[in-house]
Amino acid sequence: MSPRPGEIVLEGATRSFSLRHEHSRTLKELFIRGGHAKRTVVTALDGVDLRVEPGEAVGLVGRNGAGKTSTLRCLAGIVPLDSGRAECGGRTVSLLELGAGFGEEFSGRENIYLNGALHGFGRREMEERIEAIVEFSELGEFIHAPVKAYSAGMQLRLGFSIVAHLDADVMLIDEILAVGDESFQRKCLARVSERMEAGATLVLVSHDPMAIERVCRRLVVFDGGKVAYDGEVPEGLLFYHRLLGTTEGASRSVRPGDRRADLEIAELELQDAQGRRRHMFRTGERLTVALEVDCVQPADRAVAALEVRDAHGALCFRTETALGRVDGTVEVSFAVERLALLGGDYDLAVGVFDQDAPGGGLLDRIAHFSVAQTPEGEGVADLRGAWTVSGRAGEAVPR
Amino acid sequence: MRRYRFLFEQMVRRELRQKYKGSALGVLWYFVNPLVLMGAYALVFSVLLKVAGGIEDYPLFLLVGLIVWVFFSQALLSAAPSLVLNGSLVKKVRFPRESIPASVATVQLFTFLVMLAVVAPVALLMRDSLDPALALLPVIVVLLFAFVLGASLVVSVLHAHFRDVEPVLAAALLPWFFLTPIFLPVEKMPGVGEHPWLGDLLQWGNPVAPFIEAVRDVLFAGAAPTVANLAYLLGVGGGALIVGLVLFRRMGRDLAVLL
Repeated sequence: MSPRPGEIVLEGATRSFSLRHEHSRTLKELFIRGGHAKRTVVTALDGVDLRVEPGEAVGLVGRNGAGKTSTLRCLAGIVPLDSGRAECGGRTVSLLELGAGFGEEFSGRENIYLNGALHGFGRREMEERIEAIVEFSELGEFIHAPVKAYSAGMQLRLGFSIVAHLDADVMLIDEILAVGDESFQRKCLARVSERMEAGATLVLVSHDPMAIERVCRRLVVFDGGKVAYDGEVPEGLLFYHRLLGTTEGASRSVRPGDRRADLEIAELELQDAQGRRRHMFRTGERLTVALEVDCVQPADRAVAALEVRDAHGALCFRTETALGRVDGTVEVSFAVERLALLGGDYDLAVGVFDQDAPGGGLLDRIAHFSVAQTPEGEGVADLRGAWTVSGRAGEAVPR
Repeated sequence: MRRYRFLFEQMVRRELRQKYKGSALGVLWYFVNPLVLMGAYALVFSVLLKVAGGIEDYPLFLLVGLIVWVFFSQALLSAAPSLVLNGSLVKKVRFPRESIPASVATVQLFTFLVMLAVVAPVALLMRDSLDPALALLPVIVVLLFAFVLGASLVVSVLHAHFRDVEPVLAAALLPWFFLTPIFLPVEKMPGVGEHPWLGDLLQWGNPVAPFIEAVRDVLFAGAAPTVANLAYLLGVGGGALIVGLVLFRRMGRDLAVLL
């Protein structure tokens, strides 16, 4: 039974890649190894079952190689499955990577036609849409320039504008909303919502939790080619960040060269109220920054400094404290009772140094964390204000 | 299939313009190369080597054979790397991948048809070879295109798997050219007089030879090709197309991973 328009069905979808395929083969290799080359088989999809109803917006996240992009490619029909079923009902359009199928030498306009044709549209259907696509892309006169002259942002605009106007039942989009300026992103999201109200289904792969939170009502976390989580977005993002935290380094050092400081941060961890390591927090939650400092040489006037910057690198908060005399191993923590940051990605930089030593003041350990989006506010800081309204409907309100 | 007619049109247009985009002559380059090639061969064989062997209107004889060969060899040489060159399309969108080598072969078909439109009237006039057999020319051209299309599908998908295919093909086409009855009819080729089996081998062992013979029969001699020859063209043309489509479908499954 084929799926209804907008419905997506994955049943026992399995696909593995032989790594030998990654580089091109030559006849010489074939003769020498007699076609029995050693190969490493990577299972990108391991019996995935997933069903998406028409009109749903689903985000896919996972570590690199977890199977999210493979899922998208199999759904788009670009890569066939080894076994199982991967079907999208109705017309499917895909926007995988930047500038899907752009002929570099051709103008933006010519590329719109080519892209429509690749998605199975006819000349008349494209002629009906071209003006709307050009207008949406905001490329103006550049639409007549060859695409090779476009910036990444312009290619994105063009690619998204095309896909958004192809009246698809299923839209498969990979890592796209992460690029481009804020106003265009907003426009894209509005267009996506519009398409979804018309009954279209969206599957979005992204590393950007904000993009997923804004658009998707359902999140699927892939791990090792399997579905590890399927459900609500905020819980899913917490699950995902816990998954990341278990294997990836919690923080990294940005100390230039191999200069060893007298005071070394051995450990930097972000913890939740239960003392568990986390990278994803919610506004209003408790957050603790825990440090373990190794003193290579005792210091008399040690100082710990900490700062938080947003995704654009703007300083949100900075503080420092005197530690006094330190020796051996010292544990330092900074506790935030109620996290007053709003949704977004943040960098936390920490440094411990001797005030009297030369070259001090360097914040050389950086940890990355995200705050889940809340519907209450946008921006960086949660000002915890409360609205009151007087002069309710019915009373005379001056206009 | 009808759904992708516009795609095919776009691909052909793209292929036609892509190669020489930005050059002064543009699309005209498609004719410059074969013309120079044919001029050079005509010079070498008819003037310098004097192979003519008692053939009347020898340059014309040579030209008729050459346009078929140039079509065949140029189509294969440009089809072989076509999938690899269009890897970015294959990896990002789902569409019938056959359209890539098919559009390359079609562009070469256009070149061939233009050449034919120039050479045919000249041949018919000079040789006074206008004959009802001319009605067979479109049939021969269709079968030739089927053969070239099938072969293009095969070499393109093979090249995607084994990147040696293009250089091997380029190397093979050179001796192949001299074994093909282009500059002499089969019966006048060296050694054929003493060994009639060699003539049969050169005539039927090389799928391009009967196509050249047939076109030459119609345009140069003003006679219909033999029934055996036409049957051969039908078999080779249809066979190549079927083999090409089947092989492409089987080996082209994983193109998005290979490229």
